[in-house]
Amino acid sequence: MTINPTLLAQTTRSSVNKADAAKRVIKAYRDWYRAAPEVVNLYLLTIPTSTVRSRIRQEFEKNRHVQQLPVIDMLIVKSNMEFQETMNYWKQTAQLMKYFRAEEDDRVHVPKDFMTGFLEGRNN
Amino acid sequence: MSLFRTSSRLVFARLPIAATASRAPIVAIRHKSTDAVNTKDAVVARTKEPHAVAVATHEGVPEIPVDTATSAYSPIPKYPEIHADDVLNAAFISGAPLDLQSRTVRIYKPAKPATQSGDWNTRRWRMDWDVLLRGHRWENPLMGWQSSGDSMQGTSLSFKSKEDAIFFAEKQGYQWFVQEPNTREFRVKSYAENFLHSPGKLKIIRTK
Repeated sequence: MTINPTLLAQTTRSSVNKADAAKRVIKAYRDWYRAAPEVVNLYLLTIPTSTVRSRIRQEFEKNRHVQQLPVIDMLIVKSNMEFQETMNYWKQTAQLMKYFRAEEDDRVHVPKDFMTGFLEGRNN
Repeated sequence: MSLFRTSSRLVFARLPIAATASRAPIVAIRHKSTDAVNTKDAVVARTKEPHAVAVATHEGVPEIPVDTATSAYSPIPKYPEIHADDVLNAAFISGAPLDLQSRTVRIYKPAKPATQSGDWNTRRWRMDWDVLLRGHRWENPLMGWQSSGDSMQGTSLSFKSKEDAIFFAEKQGYQWFVQEPNTREFRVKSYAENFLHSPGKLKIIRTK
């Protein structure tokens, strides 16, 4: 298989305004959402597509409240790079499975609130 | 709780960004999922379907996903503060694990070592991380080598000024405090002053 480095490459640009940024984010999310089954097939994951999709959603939700345009632009750039690397099979399985640590190891979790974490003997 | 030796000149502070009216207000969002109903719902969802990932606990506070740095001892992660315009929200694009958001960094000026005269290292401000209280450290049973799972262990950053360090911490969303240095008082002393006339009853000891 020949490697085409420009496959799925997207031009980096700054968003004009918030609406433009929102449009670009939704486009990036749609690309990821549609690609989820292909990701599972490509990397022979034992995780269902629905989990991949929820994980993608989680990553987008994490940055939902970011307001600064430069930060949003950088997040879009990073998403596009990640997408290109994933879909071209430039990643190794471990580089993808780092997002699914909670699926592999049940003990790894983020405590719901301070008290839970405190009783688990965590720091802070 | 802090392991730092605290002096009386310790300054706990946050930049008074919200206090100044001229700047845009911060919409501070902290990771607080104290809502019992929502927490219970999230737990139920997890037990029903093992592969389901809870997306958000409730409106406004995204759930912090498990990342590569999460361990059984990692500090309880905080959602980074959202800045509107004043400081770049670097916490979202740095790729650093979110449990750094809940750790406090110390900004200080290192003291001159008592055994050496050189004071070059005292000219820069340094930022470092507190040692974690629990876990993250173990000893090799055979050789006794000390190990640490704390990624910030022994890490320090240097800055030209205190303001630079504070700005960096604000940008990255770190909790910070400044430990002001103890400056040495220097007075010119001369031997001849011991023999000056002093009008009082007792002679002042001028050597101190």
